[in-house]
Amino acid sequence: MTRKGLLNEFKDMEKVLLKNIENPNSADINEYKKAGGYSSLPKALERQPKEIIEEVKKAGLRGRGGAGFPVAMKWTFASADPKFPKYLLCNADEGEPGTFKDRPILEKNPHLLIEGMAISGYALGAEYGYIYLRGEYPEAKNILNRAIKQANDNGFLGDNILGKGIKFHLAVHQGAGAYICGEETALIESLEGDKGQPRIKPPFPVNVGVFAKPTVVNNVETLSNIPYIIEIGGDAYSKIGTTDCPGPKLYCVSGHVEKPGVYELPMGTILRDIIYTHCGGIKGGKKLKAVIPGGATTPVLPPDKIDCPMDFVNMPKHGSMLGSGAVIVMDESVCLVKVCYRILKFLEHESCGKCTPCREGTGWLRNILGRVESGEGIEGDIDLMLSVSGNMMGKTFCPLGDGAASVVQNFIKHFRPEFEEHIKNAKCRFK
Amino acid sequence: MTIQDKTMITININGNEIKLEKPVTVLEAARSAGIKIPTLCYHEQLEKYGGCRLCLVEVEKIPRLQTACTLMVTDGMVVRTETPQIADVRRGILEFLLINHPLDCPYCDKAGECELQDLVEKYGPAKGRYKEKKRKAPESLEDPVIVRNMERCIMCTRCVRMCEGVQGASAIAVIDRGGHSHVEPFSGGKYDCEYCGNCVSVCPVGAIMSRLHRHSYRPWQVKEKTETICPYCGVGCTVVAQVRDDSIKRVIPKIGSPVNNGMLCSRGRFGYEFVGSSERLTSPMIKKNGVLEQATWEEAISLTAKRLGEIKNKYGGSSIAGIASPRCTNEDNYVFQKFMRIALGTNNIDSAARTGYAGTQTFIENIFGQGATANIIAGLSNSDSVLVIGGDPTTINPILGLQIRACSRKGGNILAIGHIKGLEKFNPLTVSPRFYTETVLLEGLVSALKNKKGLSGSIPVLEAKIKDINTSAKEVENRCGIAEKDFIRFTDTLSESLTPAIVLGKDIVQSSGGSYKLMLISAINYLMNARIYLLCERANEQGLLDMGCAPDLLPGYRPLAFAEFRKRYENAWKSPISEKPGLSIFEMVDSAKSNALKAMYIMGENPVFNLPNSKAVTAALKNVDFIVVQDIFLTETGKLADVVFPALSWAEKDGTFTNMERRIQRLRKAVNREGMEDWRIISEVSKNMGVKLNYSGAEEIFQEISRISPLHRDLTYEEIEKGDAIYPYKGEPLRGVMEDIQMHKGSSVNPDGKLYLRLERPLFHSGTLSTKAPALVKIYPEAVASISPSIGEALSLKSGDMVKVSTRTGSLELPVNIDNKLDNLSVMLTNNFENKGAFSLMEYTIDPVTKAPVIDANEVKLEKSVRLDSEVRA
Repeated sequence: MTRKGLLNEFKDMEKVLLKNIENPNSADINEYKKAGGYSSLPKALERQPKEIIEEVKKAGLRGRGGAGFPVAMKWTFASADPKFPKYLLCNADEGEPGTFKDRPILEKNPHLLIEGMAISGYALGAEYGYIYLRGEYPEAKNILNRAIKQANDNGFLGDNILGKGIKFHLAVHQGAGAYICGEETALIESLEGDKGQPRIKPPFPVNVGVFAKPTVVNNVETLSNIPYIIEIGGDAYSKIGTTDCPGPKLYCVSGHVEKPGVYELPMGTILRDIIYTHCGGIKGGKKLKAVIPGGATTPVLPPDKIDCPMDFVNMPKHGSMLGSGAVIVMDESVCLVKVCYRILKFLEHESCGKCTPCREGTGWLRNILGRVESGEGIEGDIDLMLSVSGNMMGKTFCPLGDGAASVVQNFIKHFRPEFEEHIKNAKCRFK
Repeated sequence: MTIQDKTMITININGNEIKLEKPVTVLEAARSAGIKIPTLCYHEQLEKYGGCRLCLVEVEKIPRLQTACTLMVTDGMVVRTETPQIADVRRGILEFLLINHPLDCPYCDKAGECELQDLVEKYGPAKGRYKEKKRKAPESLEDPVIVRNMERCIMCTRCVRMCEGVQGASAIAVIDRGGHSHVEPFSGGKYDCEYCGNCVSVCPVGAIMSRLHRHSYRPWQVKEKTETICPYCGVGCTVVAQVRDDSIKRVIPKIGSPVNNGMLCSRGRFGYEFVGSSERLTSPMIKKNGVLEQATWEEAISLTAKRLGEIKNKYGGSSIAGIASPRCTNEDNYVFQKFMRIALGTNNIDSAARTGYAGTQTFIENIFGQGATANIIAGLSNSDSVLVIGGDPTTINPILGLQIRACSRKGGNILAIGHIKGLEKFNPLTVSPRFYTETVLLEGLVSALKNKKGLSGSIPVLEAKIKDINTSAKEVENRCGIAEKDFIRFTDTLSESLTPAIVLGKDIVQSSGGSYKLMLISAINYLMNARIYLLCERANEQGLLDMGCAPDLLPGYRPLAFAEFRKRYENAWKSPISEKPGLSIFEMVDSAKSNALKAMYIMGENPVFNLPNSKAVTAALKNVDFIVVQDIFLTETGKLADVVFPALSWAEKDGTFTNMERRIQRLRKAVNREGMEDWRIISEVSKNMGVKLNYSGAEEIFQEISRISPLHRDLTYEEIEKGDAIYPYKGEPLRGVMEDIQMHKGSSVNPDGKLYLRLERPLFHSGTLSTKAPALVKIYPEAVASISPSIGEALSLKSGDMVKVSTRTGSLELPVNIDNKLDNLSVMLTNNFENKGAFSLMEYTIDPVTKAPVIDANEVKLEKSVRLDSEVRA
């Protein structure tokens, strides 16, 4: 449910996640402190861990990685597990094509994440944290390591945080470039030194995670919300955005818009407003052709379906998903068969190979799309793709394979004539 | 277990209510009720994977389809496994698997037992929709015993999970990802592994197969499948011999079998081809004018009976000696010792078990009671620590080695004295004492454990010895070269263990001061309240001792010295038994040397090769007037014999073996071959001598054993076949109290600057038998001398160079192998290859207590030599 008028009210909302990032030294601990940083951590340490979890519950914070799972629920499970030590992992493996929302936090506001993790670690009873960082973010690695050292030196991390006898150590682990390692159990496998492949669930990571210990895996953006929740309180926080999905949200917009970039807006901002109000509309005044609203694997939307509030609850009702909030905008010059082919090529390349439908299906779909796109498609190829993707959908080990099937199904659903035209004319008219 | 765990769970599958005692997976629940759910990546021996997606089922209240192999049953769960949707799913998954699978079924050896073929036959699809080119991979024949056709691979990863998670070799892995995923050895093209072939067992398709039977038959042509026991080591794995036209085509394991549960080692799986070897003896032979010539059975039997009778009459029974065989059945060995005792009137019967196993067992069981070394192998994996001394269990008894690896995987500690290669991937806590200081280390351990654990007073004779031992950690550091902190960590880990086990190899009893070391190990065993396992190199080494093939033991492991036992057997056999203890195998050699021994009867043993100091043994045996040898090949010993009988091999006869756990298991005839079992040859000879030892078959012999041996009371083949024949059966172990522990400290050796010849006990060979199995020879083709890199450097030797290895008794020229795990004092050599055995270069002394040969003081010299091209094996 959206609240009317919310958008205007928060048009110039206070920046929470991107606060202070215009400052060229924003990654430095002193600048962060000057802007009010590290004021939530001492407050949090004054309170009982349970109270912090309760505050996050009141805030209604949902995970920002894509699934929108209630954060407090995950924390409660892990904190209730008697096994020790517990681990807090930050999923910074931002690999979904079109997604770059975490990058400004990692590079410009690392102390926000560190403060968030220190508070979360305390709330969970975790003494060790890892930031699993995307392999292609080498700069962020240096920035994070520098920031972690500063935080250690200033007593915000370490064996005795702020002299309270609380322990939380943080380390950065850089991935090797596999998209699948953004899936939390594959991330854990990779962190343990094994090949990144998803694990059987249950047991869930909250009970049997990294090194077989209770583990919470949260996204960068999720953890970066924690200091603010402590600062203003769960109740106040829950009034931002939509009632089911409160809080600020980072939307990263790419493609054919006048002003692409990362926008911090209230959760539930209307997709059309993001494109036309915040990003200045379609570049060069061209016609909008399609929008992928939440990263490459979320269902594509045609121009007449973009009046939807961008949150976890409302997007499915409008035929897509919020995903990572990565909005990819495509104008009339784009060949959507090629886009679909390109996404499948990516997913085929990134399929881990563990389960049959994804390993074999992504490649098969890519093959068919490849021949359709290059004008070599044959009659029946569209139905074959629908059949193959139907054989994948709901049968794969993890969401990657489902995502691949869904991409094909949705591109065909909304843009079938374009596929048919490629086959009929045996060529692509966009070339 | 809580009470809640015990409550029954109900699951409804396809309308059938299934009650379960404990939570299991949906797949297991379905199978228990006879409901079939197709699977490919699932395998009962392996960790769950959930990758193939073939077992997807519908579960009420769960919107997504669930894999039955991973989903645990909860109470009240409602599952459907046969719906139109599920049928579509199965067809869809199989179609995915087939798009890149070659349809070379007519050529593929797996056809007929291929799980993919069977599933597609049942669920479809009937035709393909894939228009692109399939992935291709060439057939790989790089490995000696395994053939790989990886384009047939369906990425179920069973082989990888087997190799890493059960076998523990971690030789293969999934390389690359997605559609490029493929299984490949870490080592690149060729496997660098233990060649256990357990990957072959679990491969559901024709991707990884044995090369031994490549294109030689189709699975449905193998009608005879005989369940029997592996002929190699003392573990006694159940094997299934698959036979066509009286030729073994394949040996496979059986899931659920008691000792090996679906696992085999390289010897067991690939070492069966000796049965069909063209070198097998086919006819009896008699030596005429120094040359063995073919003879008829009648001639050979009557000559043997006549000559033995003459010698007995002239020199008495004590001038005749018999050597029994750890490769022969209990029945063979029982009849043999009975023949020696009542037909020839002597207790001169012994076996190669005297080289260590027998003496070690007697020593330890004299202290702790009979049966103290009879422990269940599978129990090792449940220990919280395993102390390994005196040999690599993973090569001597590979399947027992797997249990130690499993123990480590479950979180147990592996403690090793000296480097144990087969356990190095399992994070062992290793202490390696300097040469000839093992005793000091063991004393140090006893002292430390005594202080930590205290003495309970239950075995005073042993405690009396323990009290005298006081070796400090500092002393261990100074003398053994083990840092004090490492030693303390070692003793702490050991002493904190609640369910420890000790695995003991023969290197201890064959070393200087062996009986003293055995006392120290017994002391550790006592202080830790551990279970002790004796590594056992031959399949029926235990059985022959139980059958009384020892100079001082009657059947049922009853000491000859007790008149009561002698009486019992005299009554049963209706014949007197000499009260004079017989000669040990080494005393037989001495007696032959001094011309006192006039005749020898050797069944299935090759003492000339299998005893140390071959030259001396050969010379001694040449003094013996009359030698009879029964064997399946013409061995070095056979060549010295006056009469040679061809025996039936393990695969060609019925009977029983007793493994190192003292589990009696049934050997079943798998192949028909003309000839006689060992016991039957002996009974024919005996009959000719006028002493009746007539039996209709092996079972009748066993009936006699179970009638008169107090240990084997009431045992029948029927009982054994149930798998229940575990020590002490229904019989009585012997109980007694020891008055004193005899032991011998041995002489100390200063090894500085010298090299010593040591015996390597390889994974791929066992005695000379394995060298008649071409597959094993392909893996390990020839004798090599292994040395450390620094010895190699000093002599500018690299692997493959020829080296002359000389001791006081002779020399051999061998290729050299540089092994970076070896110390700088040892030259390792196997005793498996004809004319290239380590024993031909070794002298021995006898430990007066264990009667075992001490072979650790053979100084050796190395010289670089040149290998002639003609010597290089193809």
